[in-house]
Amino acid sequence: MASIKEYLSADHRHCDKIFASMEASASKSLADSKILAQEFVDSTERHFQMEERVMFLEFEEKTGMTQGPTAMMRQEHTQMRMLMQQILDAIDTDNKDKFFGLTETLMILLQQHNMKEEQMLYTMAQQHLSAESDRIVEMMDSIVVE
Amino acid sequence: MELTGLSTDQAPPISVPLRFFLTAPLLAIFAGLLIFFTDAEVLISRYSHETIAIVHAITIGFLGFIILGALTQMLPVLAGVKIYKVKLVSTISYTFLVLGIISMVIGLYFEINSLNILAAISLVFGFLALLIPMIFAIKQVVDFTPTVRAMGVSLVFALLSILIGAHLLASHAMSNISSSHYILSNIHSVWAVFGFACILIIGVSFQVLPMFYVAPKFKQFCKKRIIWIISSGLIFWAITNIYNNSFNIYPKIWISLFFFAFATTVWIKLNQRRRPINDVTIWYWRSSSVFFTLGIFLWIFNSFYDEDIIVPASIFIAGGFIMSIMIGMLYKIIPFLVWFHLNAKGYMNIPTMNEMTHKNVAKFQYFLFIFSLIGFSISYVYPQFLEYSCISFILSMILLEYNVINPVLIYSKIIKTKPDFDMSAFGIMQEE
Repeated sequence: MASIKEYLSADHRHCDKIFASMEASASKSLADSKILAQEFVDSTERHFQMEERVMFLEFEEKTGMTQGPTAMMRQEHTQMRMLMQQILDAIDTDNKDKFFGLTETLMILLQQHNMKEEQMLYTMAQQHLSAESDRIVEMMDSIVVE
Repeated sequence: MELTGLSTDQAPPISVPLRFFLTAPLLAIFAGLLIFFTDAEVLISRYSHETIAIVHAITIGFLGFIILGALTQMLPVLAGVKIYKVKLVSTISYTFLVLGIISMVIGLYFEINSLNILAAISLVFGFLALLIPMIFAIKQVVDFTPTVRAMGVSLVFALLSILIGAHLLASHAMSNISSSHYILSNIHSVWAVFGFACILIIGVSFQVLPMFYVAPKFKQFCKKRIIWIISSGLIFWAITNIYNNSFNIYPKIWISLFFFAFATTVWIKLNQRRRPINDVTIWYWRSSSVFFTLGIFLWIFNSFYDEDIIVPASIFIAGGFIMSIMIGMLYKIIPFLVWFHLNAKGYMNIPTMNEMTHKNVAKFQYFLFIFSLIGFSISYVYPQFLEYSCISFILSMILLEYNVINPVLIYSKIIKTKPDFDMSAFGIMQEE
């Protein structure tokens, strides 16, 4: 089974691909990109919840750090959720300029967030939680989005 | 590993990178004005003091400033480490670098030796004030990715180039030109451009291209080996320069072959990217790939033309490759930093990144810049092109400054208003 780092990093790339497909579709027709936009939002939300409801909690319990990196990652999740909602709104109002302005901002926010997670948090999580890695990956894999 | 590296309070205050970014185009304008008022015949020689002054206004004033500003921002994100007292050391560094580069350019251009001595001291202080904390920060990294390794290697080349450069400048000021002066000057320039700037760009592009443009990842061989291959080539090249110049074509071909492979790979990756956007930053990536290829081949051919074409080779490599990448990066990073810092402070109703810069101005700026590069290289053979190229370059840098200062003005305006949400509970971004 994949490690925590491998599993979550692969999920980042999965979300990136949907994001790129959403933009490709929107460049032709904004209205037609709605399904892909929703798929991207759902996939990203699922990823956030895998972290917030499983991995972050396990990490915080193991290290005792509740106000450190996981708190900051949660805050960046909030920023991205806000942008994702604005992207859906831009599609509803058929505002293409706004849509691409928001996707550009989200893309950079998302990628610098992913870099920090992959470079540090996942590596640390893997080190601290290696014994329970399989169980945690299984829990994340079977999560039902709330 | 320092876990708090993930928090935004470890990223530098927005003023730290911005002061470097906003100063860089101004120094490029300064360089452009000097070119305008200098005879083309004087600029043809790479060893004329006017040429050296202008080259450093670009390499230190534009490229160096942007690289340092970017590193203060990139190290916490890409390497997950904190630069010790980043606000303090960057203020010290910035102050000395501004003093140093202005003294150097004026000192060299007008042959004022006291200014050259002041410049040598100030530039060493300015660079070391930031480079040493950065090198120590990289030493703390546990997970050495290829990007982090490239950053570390490039900083070592930077350190060596700066020390050699300061020695050269001080020797020049004291009229103490030794037999090794020109050998050291070659090593200084090649290590600074290829060892510091190019290796850093290659390392960062391993992350940036696949992530920001959803392009295919670089091959493992490329990520793991190319930095060492190029670094060893640069060291071998320096040794041949010192001991037997007739052999230096071999490491040159060795280095250029891998740079060419990189430039071609960038072009292919851009073609294979999944994101459909085709903005000015993509244009800059593509131009950099073309100019880099042209530049390194000219660098090789230069060996067969008695060093006659080193000036156009330098224009293509430093201007066409490195400057292009830096300008493209500024168009992304400054609007993002403004958005990110405002949003993290609780401002929700803020312009998107695309709304902070003027797209058409950026496109016009791109064409002026590319025109100036081609014009400068043609001026080498037909000097009558120099003035037009120079005006085009100055205008492009004025437009760049206008476009990068715009997001900062938006930041200054919004920050004076009340945030939509009180973010003090998060305890972040309170340091500015």
